[in-house]
Amino acid sequence: MAAAGGGGGGGGRATTSGCGLKRRYAPHDQEEETMNQDQSSKEDWCGRLWNGMDLLKDVTENKHVLPTGLEGIDTLLGGGLRQGQLTEVTGPSSSGKTQVCLHSASHAAVKHMGVVMYLDTSNSFSPSRIATIIDGTNDLSDQRGFDLPHKERLKTMMRSIVCKSVFDIFGMFEVLHQLEVSLLNDKVKSGGRKICLLIVDSISSLLAPIIGGKYPQGRSMMISVAMILKKLAYKHNLSVLVTNHMVSAGNGAVKPALGESWKAVPHVRLVISREHGSNICTATVLKHTLLASGRTAKFVVPS
Amino acid sequence: MGEQSGAQNAWDMLSDEQSQKHITTGSGDLNDILGGGIHCKEVTEIGGVPGVGKTQLGIQLAINVQIPVEYGGLGGKAVYIDTEGSFMVERVYQIAEGCIRDILEHFPHSHEKSSSGQKQLQPEHFLADIYYFRICSYTEQIAVINYLEKFLGEHKDVRIVVIDNVTFHFRQDFEDLALRTRVLSGLSLKLMKIAKTYNLAVVLLNQVTTKFTEGSFQLTLALGDSWSHSCTNRLILYWNGNERYAHLDKSPSLPVASAPYAVTGKGIRDAVSSHHKRARVT
Repeated sequence: MAAAGGGGGGGGRATTSGCGLKRRYAPHDQEEETMNQDQSSKEDWCGRLWNGMDLLKDVTENKHVLPTGLEGIDTLLGGGLRQGQLTEVTGPSSSGKTQVCLHSASHAAVKHMGVVMYLDTSNSFSPSRIATIIDGTNDLSDQRGFDLPHKERLKTMMRSIVCKSVFDIFGMFEVLHQLEVSLLNDKVKSGGRKICLLIVDSISSLLAPIIGGKYPQGRSMMISVAMILKKLAYKHNLSVLVTNHMVSAGNGAVKPALGESWKAVPHVRLVISREHGSNICTATVLKHTLLASGRTAKFVVPS
Repeated sequence: MGEQSGAQNAWDMLSDEQSQKHITTGSGDLNDILGGGIHCKEVTEIGGVPGVGKTQLGIQLAINVQIPVEYGGLGGKAVYIDTEGSFMVERVYQIAEGCIRDILEHFPHSHEKSSSGQKQLQPEHFLADIYYFRICSYTEQIAVINYLEKFLGEHKDVRIVVIDNVTFHFRQDFEDLALRTRVLSGLSLKLMKIAKTYNLAVVLLNQVTTKFTEGSFQLTLALGDSWSHSCTNRLILYWNGNERYAHLDKSPSLPVASAPYAVTGKGIRDAVSSHHKRARVT
């Protein structure tokens, strides 16, 4: 059964520049094919029709939240990072964005929720920090209740976090394409766990060299990568977490980078800041699908 | 989940990270807040006002990276990219001498052993192992960074690249600020890639400017907001009265902290009250 979810509807008819061109059908052929097929095949292409009750059932049963492990943030998010959604954390330099990512990855590993894929653009992924965070959770007992030695438990948990460095936007398209293909082919690693969380720290450093110029290619690549991330989240029930930095907004003020077109992309947007010289950070909701915006909470990054 | 080329899991990376050697700064206190020294595979930005010792620290690191493995160092070579002409060779010689003197003090019996291939500790050798590039415009800077990848492929023993200082040529005469942001973001990604691919430390020295926010002048790094995310770690050097201090402002694994240090005739050392220290000149 062709399980082409809502995001896949139309089978990639809109070719966007620069990414995965090999896989896409040329617009012309696609339309001809669709015209010539009979009614039932056309429905396969459109994907399943959902009604409201189906959706509600799906959300309550399948769409869980992945807590980040940072209390203030989890409260603001209504539990954590929701599956099927793209969450953005933005903030000035050294406000704690990478720490939120590292904590989310560690927490998912500790709770055995699945494999975490961490895409790092600034060599900031620190395995020793991950180990410290996991150690700090005091929750190292195996789910089945067996009392494995400490090192074994740490090893199992850390092996479920996979990190890859990405240094340009084309590398990012490549990585996401490979991920998509392997998820579609349903290749299962030993241990049989599926990816549950995809982190990109940070998406804005990959886009900063290409957006803002006279030509629109940079912006269209940004929208392209945004669509791929949301499609992955939707089709494979992942939580996707990305970080963004701030740029100046005139008169000394700052605003999130990536401009107006990006604002509509994430389902949830948080802006965080840190008081100078302390590890107490403040998070504010800029956008959320369920909860009101503007709510603030403080959270502490444990050392 | 399918195979991703170049992807590693956190457990394997942990043992790699724990076996990494760090580049000592010359000051024990400074090394402590940095977790042992400057990290390889990472880009570290060092900012400060003129005169606080950024170039001194840059030169010290270019020397210290060469400390042979048998004395606890990396035994690597250095690339020094000079944008302002601050690299004074006589001073580099002095610092090399100071470093050698300290090694011999620390390891008093080692110079008696003479195994074949063990380098003689001479300041000349330290100078010979610094690859120096002098650049005079932003186009030359872009060119040299693009060239670095090829250069490092041919010189695999380089373990540090120092750029002194990275934003100088971009501060004046660059009319299109949006273009400047794009170019600098591209450069910083290239430097990140170089650090990771060739397993070396990239150290970027940066000027501090005054920024008028919230009704008062604050010192911020040149090119502030748009550039501030382009490093893995950030160290700010500042004056506290007549003492020099370093403040670790950004790090993925270390807490925010400050430590004093001193610039002496031998180079960067711990701040112990001593008349050998170089005083503040303002």
